[in-house]
Formats: sequence, C-alpha cells, structure tokens
Amino acid sequence: MANEYDVQKQGIAKYLDYLCLTPLGAIGFLILMIVPLFPPFNQDYLIRWFILAAIMGTGAMAFDFSSGYIAVVNFGFAAFVGLGAYTSAIVANKWGIPLPVTMLCGAFTAGLLGFITGAISLRMRGMFAICLTWFIGIGMMGLAIKLVWLTRGMLGLRTAYFFGTEAPNLYYWYPVIGVALVTWFILKRIARSHIGLAFKAIGQNMDAAKTSGINPTRYRIMNFTVSCALAGWVGAFYAHFIGILTPEFLHTAKTVEFLVIVYIGGRGSLWGGFAVAFPLIWFTEMLRSNFDYLPGINLLIYGLMLILIMIFYAGGMAQFFRYLVDKWKDNPTVRWLTT
Amino acid sequence: MLLEIKSLDSGYGFLQVLWDVSFFVDEGEFVALIGPNGAGKSTTLKTIAGLVEPQGGEILYEGNPIGGLEGHLVCRKGIAFISEELNLFVNMTVKENLEMGAFTLKDPAKQAKNLEFVYELFPRLHEREAQFAGTLSGGERKMMAIGRGIMSSPRLMLVDEPSLGLAPMLTNEVFKALRTLNKRGTTIFLVEQNVGKTLKTTSRAYILEKGKIILQGKSADLADDDHVRKIYLGH
Amino acid sequence: MVNPSTESAIDKIDQTIEDTFAQKAIRWLFSAGGMTICLTILVAIVATIHKGPYILVNTVITGGMWALMAIGLALLFSVMNIAGFAHGEYFMAGSLTAYFVFLPISNYTLEHPESFMAYVGPMIAILAGTLMCAFLGILTERLVFKQLRMRNREGWLLNCFLITLGISIIFQNTHQLGFGADFKGILAYWDFPSVPIFGVYMSIDRICAFFIAILTMIGFYIFMMFSTTGKTIRAVSQDEDGARMVGISVDTVHVVTFALSCGLAGLAGASLLFMFPSYPTVGVMPLYNSWFIIILVGFGNVAGAIPGGFMIALFQVITRSYMGEGWEAVIPVLLISLILIFKPSGIFATKVRTVWDE
Repeated sequence: MANEYDVQKQGIAKYLDYLCLTPLGAIGFLILMIVPLFPPFNQDYLIRWFILAAIMGTGAMAFDFSSGYIAVVNFGFAAFVGLGAYTSAIVANKWGIPLPVTMLCGAFTAGLLGFITGAISLRMRGMFAICLTWFIGIGMMGLAIKLVWLTRGMLGLRTAYFFGTEAPNLYYWYPVIGVALVTWFILKRIARSHIGLAFKAIGQNMDAAKTSGINPTRYRIMNFTVSCALAGWVGAFYAHFIGILTPEFLHTAKTVEFLVIVYIGGRGSLWGGFAVAFPLIWFTEMLRSNFDYLPGINLLIYGLMLILIMIFYAGGMAQFFRYLVDKWKDNPTVRWLTT
Repeated sequence: MLLEIKSLDSGYGFLQVLWDVSFFVDEGEFVALIGPNGAGKSTTLKTIAGLVEPQGGEILYEGNPIGGLEGHLVCRKGIAFISEELNLFVNMTVKENLEMGAFTLKDPAKQAKNLEFVYELFPRLHEREAQFAGTLSGGERKMMAIGRGIMSSPRLMLVDEPSLGLAPMLTNEVFKALRTLNKRGTTIFLVEQNVGKTLKTTSRAYILEKGKIILQGKSADLADDDHVRKIYLGH
Repeated sequence: MVNPSTESAIDKIDQTIEDTFAQKAIRWLFSAGGMTICLTILVAIVATIHKGPYILVNTVITGGMWALMAIGLALLFSVMNIAGFAHGEYFMAGSLTAYFVFLPISNYTLEHPESFMAYVGPMIAILAGTLMCAFLGILTERLVFKQLRMRNREGWLLNCFLITLGISIIFQNTHQLGFGADFKGILAYWDFPSVPIFGVYMSIDRICAFFIAILTMIGFYIFMMFSTTGKTIRAVSQDEDGARMVGISVDTVHVVTFALSCGLAGLAGASLLFMFPSYPTVGVMPLYNSWFIIILVGFGNVAGAIPGGFMIALFQVITRSYMGEGWEAVIPVLLISLILIFKPSGIFATKVRTVWDE
C-alpha cells in the first residue's frame, strides 16, 4: 500500500506485502511459531491452549469478514464451523478419504449452507440475516442431536486424528498456523481486490453503491459464502484435532464465544480477533482449571467487556493499536513495521 | 424581546452550519428568515426548538437562556415548532394528533377551546377528524402540523417552510391561517424559500446565506432591495 | 378549493371508508395474516379432534404467556429500535424472584392450608417477579442504553443487539454463580384439586396463568389506547421528534417502555414457575419463541404479537406431539425461511413502524 512516506516497498517488505502481511504481522507469526518450542510454553496442555486459541482466532477472522465488512453478524456461526467439522469427520469415517480433502468437503458444505442462507436473507437489512442464521444455528444443533444414525447424537462422533492417536499436540501447532495464514491470505486478498472495494462501498452508502452499478445483494452473498466456507474449513481442522465431536459445539453459546473475541479484538480489522483470541482463550482455560468452583466467571467477564466496549470503545483492541501507531507515526521503525 | 438570538453557532458534529447568527423577535411580531437551500434556516429553528445542540452563542426566551434545553422542555416553555418534515403521528387520527398537541395543557376546557379554534381555522381537518394522519394529502398534513402546534397555546410559533410542496391555492390558505394566528396574538417566526409571499405577509425579515445573516429590515424595504430582487424575486 | 390530484385521493379514501363490513372482511381474509389465522384455527381443531383436547389446553395456556413476552419484545423494537436478545433473561429473573418470594409463603401455607395466604400468596410471588423485572428493566435502560445513546448513535441496531447479548451473558452467569445451576421449581402455586374443563383436568395454576395472560392483555390494551402514558409511548414509537415537539419527555418514555417490556417478561416467567422451574438458561426457550413470534408477525407489530403467541404455541405443541421431542428446534428454521422468502415484513405486514396496528 503506497503512502506519503514510501514510494515502493523494498526487499522483504515487498514479498510480505504479497502475502498481505505487514512486517509486524510477520514477526508476530514467527514468534507464535517459535514460542511453543521453549519452556515454560512447551508443555502439552499449554500447546493445546495455543492450538485452541489459533482455531478460535481463525474462526474469528472468518466471522469478522462478514460482520466487519458488510455488517452482517452470523449468529449461527458455530453451526457452520460445526457443519464443516461433522462433514469432514463423517466423510473421513465412512469413505476413508484423506483428511485434507475431507477438510475441503467441510468447507464446501458450510459454504453451500452459507450461500443458501445468504440468498434467502441478504436481500433485506442485516437484522434478518442475524435472525435466520440464529435459527439455522439452533436448527443445525437440533439436527445433530436428532440424526443419531449420522452423527451419533449426544454420544459424540469419534473422528480420525491427523497424526494418529498418540501424537503430541506440537504436531498440530504448525498445521493450525498454516490454516490461519491461508485464511488470512484469502480474506485479505479478497478485501484488497475490487470485490473488497464493493464491500466498502456497500458498507458506506448502499444507495450510492447501487447507482454505481454494484449489486449489493450479490456482493453480500459472496462475502457471506466465503466467510462460511472458511468457517467450515477451520471446523474440519478442529474435528481432526479434538478427536470427538458433540452437538454442543454448534450451540449459540459457541457462536457468542467467537463473537466476543471478534468485538473485543476490533470489528473490521480481521487480525484483531486472532490476536486477542490467545489471551482470551488462555484466560478461559486458566480459569477453568484453577477456579472451577466459579463456573462461568470467564463468560461473565466477557459479557461485561462486550458491553463496555460497545459503549465506550467500539473499535476494540485494534482501534487502540491504530491509535498507538498513529501517535508514533513519525518514528521510521514504526512506519516500516506497520505498512 | 420575546426571542433573542446572540452570536449563535450551530451544526451537526463537525459540520458547522450557522456562524455567529444574531436576530430577535418581539412579542406579537410576524418575522421571517429567508434564504436559499442549505443556508441553515431549518438548523436555526431546530436549534431554538431544542432538537439540535448549539455549539456557541446564546438563545434567550423571555430573557432567560434556553440554549441546549431539550426539545420537550422548550415546548413546555410555550414555543411550538412546526417542522419541515411535519413529524405527524401517522397511525393516530387527526383528532388524536391534535389531542397530543395539547399534551402540555392541563386544562381540558382550554384544550376544547383550542380544538374549536383549529377546526374553525382549518375546516378540512374537522371533516377528516377520524382519519389516520398518514392518509392525509400534502396540504392537509401541513394544516395538521400547524393545528397540532396551535393546540398547546404557544406564545411563539416557529414554522419551517410551510409552503414547501404546496400548490399556490393551498399556500394562500396556509399563509392566511398564519396571519390570523398572528393577529390573535401568537408571535410567529417563519422560515421560507417563497420570498415573494413571505415579504408580503410578514413585517420584518432576515436574509440568511451560507449560515450568516447578510441582510435584515422591514419586509417592505427588503422587497425593494436590489440584492433581494435579483437573487430571490427574479427581477 | 382543492386541486385535482388531492380530489381523487380523497375520493379513494372515501371509497375505502364506505366499503361494507363484508367487503372489508373478505379482503382481510385473503391477506397473509387472515389466511394464516384461519389455517391455525383449522389445524388446532383438527389436531384436537385427532389427538385430544390437551393440545388446545397447552396451546392456550402457554400461548398467552409467549404473547406477553413477544409484546414486550415488540415494544422495545417499535419504541426504541432495540433488538432485545436479553429478553429471555427477564423471564428468568421473574421466575427466580417468584421462587424465592414463594418459598417462605409456601412454608407458611403448608402449616396453615386454609389461610388467606394460600389464595393470595402466589399472586404476591408473581407480582414480586413482575416488579423486580420492571426494576431491572429500568436499571438496564439507565445504566446501559442511555449511556450508549449519549455516546454513540451509529450502527444503533447492531450495537444494541450486541449489548443485549452481553447483558444476557451477565444475567445467566450471575444466576449460576449466585444461585447455582440447579432447577428451582415448585410443585404448584395453588395447591387445590384440579378442575375438569371440557373433560380435561386442569390444575388451578394453569387456569390462573391463562386468566393472568388475558387480563394483562386487556389491561395493556386499555393502557396503551386510553392512558396518557400509553399515548406518549405510542407517539414516541411513531415519531420521536414529533413527540418532543409536543412536549413529551422521550427519555421518560424510554424508561417506562423498558420497565413495561421487562415487567411483562417477568410476569410470564413468574406465572409459569410451576411449568418452568428457574435455572440459569431457562430464558433461552422463551427468547427463541419471542423472536419467532415477532419475525412471524413483523418487527414492531405489538398487536400482532397476541395471535402470534398462540400460533407459535400451537406450532410447538403440534411439532412435539406429531414428531417427537427435539424437532421443534429444527422445523421453525424452515418456517422462518419461508417467511423471509415470501413475506419478510411479517404476515400482518406493516409498512410503518407502529405500536398498534389494526
């Protein structure tokens, strides 16, 4: 991205830009990749937290793509993630297809459901999409419970692990970072393209966009489908990491977890949710293991944070980060790191 | 002076619309604020009526500052605002709208008297008493809005572009009604684009362009003014 | 003197006023709303004949309460443009309050079975639940929504939705942390023998729930149409600036509306304590039902919420008895999809946001 300080990116920055990463982002990913190798982070249960956070963070990115760019909150998001998970697991179990392919199957079914949902509800204002996705989320969870012959209902569906039953969690860490990077790349590429421009136009002024020849419904459906497909893809990874799937995973409460991460991280930023997923998931897991006599205290805190952010600081953590960058924009290192 | 505006700045957030605007209206007067589209005339009225927050300056009513007071409190002081958008209660009948207009009046006898007067002034409203306000025609809606404003027995009435969108016949009716009101003792501050008619009906006027008052004086004198004749009267 | 275009418009209006009652009735019958109501009645009759009167009884008992909750939700929409995702939590708060108020009362009644308390006690508990929720509603409006309104009016609908989500989380987890996740239920409010009605033995609790719902609906109607406060609420829902211009304190109306809305939810929760014991997530199903209703009848349509409540109740009872437990989570999706495809503004379609729509 050209700005008044640099005419053209040089060297590494140029290649990173192709990957849609700022130098700071690349450093962040590098740090993430290395940290689980060193104590005290190299314990198996802590790496598990890392992986869960990365999964939730990637899901948050997909969620933010629709809630941040076209202001459509997918209130049944967990069901799309879960649909991808179940699809991948069932296809793998029944026909022994290699897991990367089943993951694509998961993306496909979730994307298809997203497309149908979008086609029905995105002609109208966003509130309808929120309602429909919410109902679909509940409906999907109901289906997962009732269709016992397919999903084993509440008993849970055993899934094939990527690396067999005894692999340490570290084996999963690099694939999940890969999933995160690929998701980021896809979303950012679309956002930078003329499609992304259309999203911005629709978000700013729907009527002006229409008179410029943009069909808002078409672009909203496009955005939503991509968001859901990626959700399904991430869900499929989760399925083959966690080893067992239950319908609880499709519950609205799970969607709320994604939602809280996105809004605390900063709506519309895409990376904000990914970044705060780590501290938030660690916080949740830590509370769960150390304070289990206070069930739900983490959710209580998240609820409070959500309200406070909505009232006082709607842009979330990403807005704060942008404020810091802007404050130090005269520092050349900061500029290089963040463009 | 019933209403006095001193160095008023107003606008919407970062967009400042009014710059150092000053004018006054004496009790019983019929004064106009004239200007082209986008000059800030509606903003002026909305700021006085408490729907827009002033950014600087003073608004004095009966000698007391009312700048920044909320809309419903301004109404309770005896100022009625007839907006350009009319803001009718579309799913209430004409009669119910009028009754809502008298919300600040506690005395039912006074309410009944005001209702009678409104029906006298606008017989059409009496005919359509039981009709929903949303189904009225354009002219009837204007009358409805003015009638609702009358119901609270205001001392001062702020009227925003009453002739907008009306055929000439109806415009005459509306202006006639305003004149009757004024003769009865209600002070009227009118905002208009229809300059010819306004200068004939009012006693004094101010010209507002780009958020600043550029001319003021007796309406008869302004009608002869070169600038006014060229820009607003077309000769 | 009237110009020609207004003349013909007036003629058209006069025509519709002069339509005979029969003509108006037939036109309504073939509208989406009319057809759905007739279909509902038909289905109710058929199912009752087929499966027995308990279908009708269950529909009527719960339908009234869901209608009350949906009225509350519709009020929030039409007056304040708030998408209330925490509405179910006020149901929960109502049932929780009623439970704790009723506990000492029922202990007393056990020892003095024929006392005045045995008759009036439950009403005290239900009233306590209602008032507590009205109070919580006032708190919510003052502490949360007023702050939002003062600071940030952009993207209001979405922001409010997210905030109510946060409120919902807080309520649920406060209940869990403070009162435990167990089911706090009662056997019965009025511990008297059941009364046979049309061959079905109905507990006094159910009969009273029905009458509470009906009386509240009537009271609500009278309040909204004839009381000063009711008129101000209707005025604000139709035109907020217009209300300010006639001297109505919109701020006060907001508080009253919230109190009313949450009070209704609390009334439903308290009245149905005998059917739905109190636990942290007991409000999820009522929330779901309320939203189902307002999507069906159109956002902001308060009057339509009443038949809507009974329709949804019938729908749920039918689904449960013909398809078994658990399917009533799945089938509504199909119905909602149909509505969104064919009649997104609701079966009693309203063009304007209003409180009361005939």
